[in-house]
Amino acid sequence: MGRSFLTRGLLFSLALFLVLAGCAQSGGKGNGGSENGGAEPSGERSKVSMVYWPGPESDAMQKVIDAYNAGQGKTDGVEVEMVLLSRDGTYEREAAMMSSNSDEVDMYFTASYIIGQHAPYLDSLNGKVKFDNYLPSSVDSLTVGGETLAVPMDVSNHFLFYRKDLIDQLLSDAAWQAKYKEISQRVLGRELAPKDPAEWNWDDFVAAAAFFSKEYNADSPTKYGTALQLKNLIFNVMIWDDVLYSNGGGWLDNQGAPQFTSDAAKKAMDIYRTIYEGKMTSPNASVAEYPETQAALQSGGAAFAIQWGAAYNELNDPERSPDVAGKIAVAPIPGDHKTHVHSLGVGLNKYAKNKEGALKWMNYLTTAEAMNIYAQNGGIPPIAEVLNANADKNAVLPLIAEHVDKYGYSVPIMAETQQILIVLAEKLSAAWVGQADTESALAEAQEQISNLLKK
Amino acid sequence: MLSSDKAAKWILSAPLLLFYVLMVLFPAGYAVYLSVHDISLGRTTSDFNGLANYWKILRDGNFWHSIGFTLKYTVIVTAAELVLGCLLALLFDRAFPGKRVLLSAVLLPIMVAPSLMGVMYRLLLNEHNGVATYVFSKLGLEINLFDPDVVVPLLIVLDVIQWVPFTFLIMYSGLQSVDKGLAEAAAVDGASYARTMLQIILPVITPIIFIAAFLRGIDAFRTFDVIYVLTNGGPGNVSKTASIFIYEMAFKSGNIGTAAASSVIIALFLLALIPFFIRRLGNA
Repeated sequence: MGRSFLTRGLLFSLALFLVLAGCAQSGGKGNGGSENGGAEPSGERSKVSMVYWPGPESDAMQKVIDAYNAGQGKTDGVEVEMVLLSRDGTYEREAAMMSSNSDEVDMYFTASYIIGQHAPYLDSLNGKVKFDNYLPSSVDSLTVGGETLAVPMDVSNHFLFYRKDLIDQLLSDAAWQAKYKEISQRVLGRELAPKDPAEWNWDDFVAAAAFFSKEYNADSPTKYGTALQLKNLIFNVMIWDDVLYSNGGGWLDNQGAPQFTSDAAKKAMDIYRTIYEGKMTSPNASVAEYPETQAALQSGGAAFAIQWGAAYNELNDPERSPDVAGKIAVAPIPGDHKTHVHSLGVGLNKYAKNKEGALKWMNYLTTAEAMNIYAQNGGIPPIAEVLNANADKNAVLPLIAEHVDKYGYSVPIMAETQQILIVLAEKLSAAWVGQADTESALAEAQEQISNLLKK
Repeated sequence: MLSSDKAAKWILSAPLLLFYVLMVLFPAGYAVYLSVHDISLGRTTSDFNGLANYWKILRDGNFWHSIGFTLKYTVIVTAAELVLGCLLALLFDRAFPGKRVLLSAVLLPIMVAPSLMGVMYRLLLNEHNGVATYVFSKLGLEINLFDPDVVVPLLIVLDVIQWVPFTFLIMYSGLQSVDKGLAEAAAVDGASYARTMLQIILPVITPIIFIAAFLRGIDAFRTFDVIYVLTNGGPGNVSKTASIFIYEMAFKSGNIGTAAASSVIIALFLLALIPFFIRRLGNA
């Protein structure tokens, strides 16, 4: 009895071990559950594996990969395969791979705000890939210490999105204009006349926010004037940076020292604080980011907002935004019109097995053919010629080309960039919503960032 | 040579022991290794730095703030969930029409992944297009649930909604194992329902309550998903839990060594509580 039990126990344990080992093996081959984007690599061509961001970006990239694998890839002797990690956890998983000097993938997905951290794990592309066609700020935003480390694939910037129908009425209706003057006097201490949003300064922004808020104007067609994004999030700091830079400020002075206690920084904080405490934006803005701002504009809850360029298509789509489709226009950021620019891109893994193949693929990616396919399928490549040529697919593309070229700025790209964004998000988000004193928040941010940069 | 019985015990335990070594001991050991090295994502080398990471974290006000918030959050939600779970269990500890259907409905929230729950709450409570907000407005209630002064109580309420079914399930199971004769004898002696529950039934299920408190407390201390999705620890760091602090330290700031040191400190703190619970369970 005992021996038979022992034998059964041995067999059971062995079976369980084999099952677990089999699961681990198949999980590893799938890259932790990711999907492989292309066909099984042929034996004649070398394989290049590239991490990419799941979502609209990867949908567009798959078309480019298919075209390459069916065309130039044959000439190059390369077959590209996309590796998809979870959208929210891509950078975290890449961090684990990078820190172990993994050669599992040939190319990493990266972005301006994190490329400083990725820099030690990426090869320089200087002299290996040509970037002549690209918008300069997009290449700059992926360059660290003079070395360009990634091919820009998508460019992100901001616009002032506004309800054209409401602004047109404001500019033509005498009663509205009289009310506007009265409200601006109350909020800003002086009378302002309504202007076209393309000419706004920040006082106009605040005055219009008050005019279109029920708090100041019971007859306002919208509940709030604007929709601020005040959640503790680095992407919301990027929007606040527009206010900072458009008031003549910036992250670092000419000596490379942080300047978050500058007058421009205080002005930028005051603008946010005035709007939030004045109820010109929703109190729920404290947890708002891109989707909440979209909801505010789509529902007619807000008259205007600073929002990411990618929002344009959805806001003017009759199916997805029936209440406001056709009524949304864009203008430059008020003041000096500075718009944050960051790029998403793909870099060459320093430990890649197939660098040669990856570089061939990267050089294809920089061609107008590849970028046209990308743009036609939803991507926003930072090449002016491509953006202008695809206006029929997405009407905002030529505007992105124009604004990024004329008004685009990139925050300093260094190893500490993401950490600085995190510090700013934490310190400033509390002050934006009145949970902390503005001057103290800026002073603490200044001190922490100074310490960060000294290391 | 081992007897057949002893050998059988080792062999049958082998898969679990292997799992424990691979999934618990090795990661814990590796975390301790990382915690004594200066290792970050921005550098390709790592240097042994002794207890420097621990010293840095112990002097970090943000770390202590996150611990303080997490402790308060844990105590409040655990207490609320124990009380409500117990009351719900007592309510269900009788026959009534539709009990089975209602029981299934009560358990629904724990079937949903916490991160998905966070997304659902975010959509439901959206001021401009959320269903809950719409209903409130039709009832004449203008509530801004994400107002900074209200957001932490909101997070507590949302946690209670999701996890009361968990404590209810544990205590309901415990009640099923109580000898019905105890309550009947008390009734015969003229004891009221409340007195029977407080002085007879609850003392009997005290070990069950401790188990529920322990499990729920540990889980609440590790809370990440819902808070991360809804507030990301904000505004500022008002709702930043220890888990979010460590996550940001490791994957946003790239400071692997200090994140590992934070994890070790918290693990040691929680480990210190285990003997207390084991003693209480043993005494009960």
